Amino acid sequence: MLKDIDEMLLTSEKKRENLIPILQRIQQRHAYLSPDAMKLVALHLGISSSEVYGVATFYNQFRFHPPGKHQIKVCLGTACHVVGGDIILENFERKLGIKDGETTPDREFSIERVACVGCCALAPVAVVDDVVQACMAPSKVEGILLGFDIERERDEREKQESEASQ
Amino acid sequence: MPRLTIDDIEIEVPHGTKVIDAAERLGIMIPRFCYHRGLGSVGACRMCAVKFLQGPFKGLQMSCMIDAQDGMVISTTDAEALDFRRHVIEWLMLNHPHDCPVCDEGGHCLLQDMTVSGGHGMRRFSGEKRTYRDQYLGELVQHEMNRCIHCYRCVRFYREFAGYRDLGALQIAQKVYFGRLADGPLESPFAGNLVDLCPTGVYTDKPARFRARRWDLERGPSLCIHCSLGCNTVAGARYREVLRQEARLNEEVNGYFICDLGRYGFAYAGHPERPRSPRIGSQAVGWQEAVAVACDRLARLGPRSIACLSSARASVETLGTLKYLSKRVGSDHFVCFYDAAVKFKMGEIVSKLDGRTAVSLRDIEKADLLIGVGADPINAAPMLALAMRQAQRAGAKVVMMDPRPLFLPCDFEHLSVSPELFDVCLSALVKSTFDRERVGKHGEAAVTLYDRMLSCDPLDASVQARLEPLIAVVEGCRRPIIICGSDIAPASSVSFAADVALLMGEVKDQSGVFYVLPGANAYGAALFDAANGSSFESVVQEIEDGAIKALIVAESDPFRYVADRDRLQRALNKLELLLVLDYLPSETVRKAHIFLPTRAIFETRSSFINQEGRLQVAEKIHSPGTPIWQVSNKGHPPRLYGTGICGGEPRAAWRVLQQIAHTLVHSQNEISENDPWPVIGGECAVLARHHQHNGPLHGLRIIPQTSTAAFFDGDLDLQPKQPMDGHLTLLPVVSTFATEELASYSEIIQRVIGSPCAYLHSDDAERCGLLDCDRIRIAVDDGFLEIDLTVSDKMARGFLILPRHSRFEWQKLHCFAQGLPVEKIGNCTP
Repeated sequence: MLKDIDEMLLTSEKKRENLIPILQRIQQRHAYLSPDAMKLVALHLGISSSEVYGVATFYNQFRFHPPGKHQIKVCLGTACHVVGGDIILENFERKLGIKDGETTPDREFSIERVACVGCCALAPVAVVDDVVQACMAPSKVEGILLGFDIERERDEREKQESEASQ
Repeated sequence: MPRLTIDDIEIEVPHGTKVIDAAERLGIMIPRFCYHRGLGSVGACRMCAVKFLQGPFKGLQMSCMIDAQDGMVISTTDAEALDFRRHVIEWLMLNHPHDCPVCDEGGHCLLQDMTVSGGHGMRRFSGEKRTYRDQYLGELVQHEMNRCIHCYRCVRFYREFAGYRDLGALQIAQKVYFGRLADGPLESPFAGNLVDLCPTGVYTDKPARFRARRWDLERGPSLCIHCSLGCNTVAGARYREVLRQEARLNEEVNGYFICDLGRYGFAYAGHPERPRSPRIGSQAVGWQEAVAVACDRLARLGPRSIACLSSARASVETLGTLKYLSKRVGSDHFVCFYDAAVKFKMGEIVSKLDGRTAVSLRDIEKADLLIGVGADPINAAPMLALAMRQAQRAGAKVVMMDPRPLFLPCDFEHLSVSPELFDVCLSALVKSTFDRERVGKHGEAAVTLYDRMLSCDPLDASVQARLEPLIAVVEGCRRPIIICGSDIAPASSVSFAADVALLMGEVKDQSGVFYVLPGANAYGAALFDAANGSSFESVVQEIEDGAIKALIVAESDPFRYVADRDRLQRALNKLELLLVLDYLPSETVRKAHIFLPTRAIFETRSSFINQEGRLQVAEKIHSPGTPIWQVSNKGHPPRLYGTGICGGEPRAAWRVLQQIAHTLVHSQNEISENDPWPVIGGECAVLARHHQHNGPLHGLRIIPQTSTAAFFDGDLDLQPKQPMDGHLTLLPVVSTFATEELASYSEIIQRVIGSPCAYLHSDDAERCGLLDCDRIRIAVDDGFLEIDLTVSDKMARGFLILPRHSRFEWQKLHCFAQGLPVEKIGNCTP
């Protein structure tokens, strides 16, 4: 991955102004910004790595953990906030044992908070793997996660069966 | 000048004064967190809100963001403003911990003061407080991020003002974090200022942490004597030991800040091995006996057989009284500089600095062109680098001529030329700015010098190419200043710099020369030492010949500076009397026949003259004595009662020297027991004129308005030289924390200095078959020295640059001049 970033850096000019575009490209390719990647960028642009980190953490669009297989985005826009979006977020966090912006150690789930997903009438809203889940409630949080568990178990069972039949 | 009314009092202030400053002039302190006069305003904390009743602005406004204007009527005590400020405090206290008793800042915390004075006592919000993880920021500054109120002072100082980048504002909104990317020591040698700047306890003084509250400290105005700038400090002592130092505002010298060497270098005064009682041989004796024996032995010697030795770290009082003593006993030898070349340069500097050429650090900030000649600001005088950065931020161009791989916290043009090319480069840079008519005003000698400058040969093509664009800059600038070092710069450049500054003054609005000298009181030492033909070399020679039988050493350590220690040792062994007065546990003190303990700067009122000829006074902070934690072995103070102070014997050096002079010569009429200044004035005419040592707080310039010295008479070296291929010259240079004598006795500083290393140009390294991070061995007369190598391409070719380091016997390197056999013996020690 770092080699790939090195190559990517070769094509960009060594100018401070390029910092954000470079970070965006790295995230596009690798889905997140690793500490080593940021150090490489700092070295390339001749600025300190704390500066790169400072800029990157200023913007919500940058991720510092590899995203999970299933991405959960909880809306905390005005409408969702009013009807308890933070309770939904807290439920996800408690169920998965991670904070927003983090990924579970098995890389299955990551949680992000987002500002508004543009369907305030359905508040509170969560977007799970690009599917908008309307009118969320703590019980629905459990339901969604249970759904993934069942799906995973089924996948594993099928895998075992296919292995056994071979 | 705008006139405005604040709280019913009228005041007239200069244009551009902020309302908050205008109020301060009236003695009205408007509460503030983010505003700091040294850093400017950002309007981040909303704490300085006041009510504008009449004038161009109306209603509640931030007083730090608005310039004072005519007709403004302002109330700082309006109910609306008070209510607003009370709410700001309440918001800040939502997240700030309520544990002042366990915080080191408690007692001198701005937030604590504001909270208490604003009347906030009950917490209405019942939610959780935001918390952070603290970082390790090195041995000097402690980080405690939970206390942060996000005023941005730290980042504004660290990044914008000082120009270092490793500390910054990270994250956004509720999570904003001030720190580094990862744990690690702060890279800036000005990081200690965060302690002064932080309005709460996020950054606290780590060595002094939990040692004392502000009200426990005996505080007083003091000076930093670790370099020649003479920055002003406030020293705070407790239990007979200085615990912390803060920057003291001096508009002309250091401004609001000081460097870390000045802030943390004080521990030499409380060194556990500091000798505190008079000794004869190895036998501790009383004062009376020691002085009597010393006087007796001195009296038995002939008048010309006594030599006196002091140094650039001794105060004016010590130097003046020693000079007086040396004259009284008929001694020809009074030496303050070990190196004859340095002494010669100091003579030139003292004679040429006058009202026309001398500039202060503040003038440097206002300059629009800075030309460095053999000066390494960060290493030799750190606060100079900070002043240069301010000039550069305001648009000045910085040009440095120096063979070293210089680092400055600002953009600069580096001409990495060897010292012997300084004259010709400076000449090429400035000659087109002058014309014969203007130069002629300064007499024949100036014209002759000008002609020599015009006729000098062209330089190396590559250097010339880099000079061309700079020549246009020199022609266009209005306020140029030449910054000249005194260690690697040859004597001719040192005097040429003053000549050029004087000529520039003719064609520019303002011009000057800023010298960096080799010691806190180098200027003062040169004043006493100047008209005196003897050198340390000749003293050693005469000791060997048997002509000198006694040596009086006052606050000086020849063993630290002299290369041939064996010779020095043999010479000292021949002496009938080696009388040493000092406060450091130095090698010379250990060898003394009679030792008399003296007081360090914190224990007696003492004066120092900085590099621009400014006489400044450091007050006595505490009484001398062994720090209580040393007496009690870090436990409870001893429960024994006595009449004396343990280790309280040290006396001011000038008192002891005066007493000896008095006993020897029996002339009491001109000696005052309590005031050293009549004696000092008698020895130095300049100081006699300015004998009032109660000068203004920002110091008193003692330089003449117009120097009578001969300008334009330097022996200029205007022959461009080609570097000799395959020849390496050794260049010992200074290094911020590692070189200075007092700092080498400071435990905290010793903890933060890096390991010693040498620098070599990449071409030379390639030729010698060496790589970056190699461990090399340098052959000297009596053995080898081993050191790590750093390869750089930002330095002059043909030099092996060696920063003097207290963990490395750099003195030995004077033993040889050429050849310099360097070989690789392995890789860097980790």
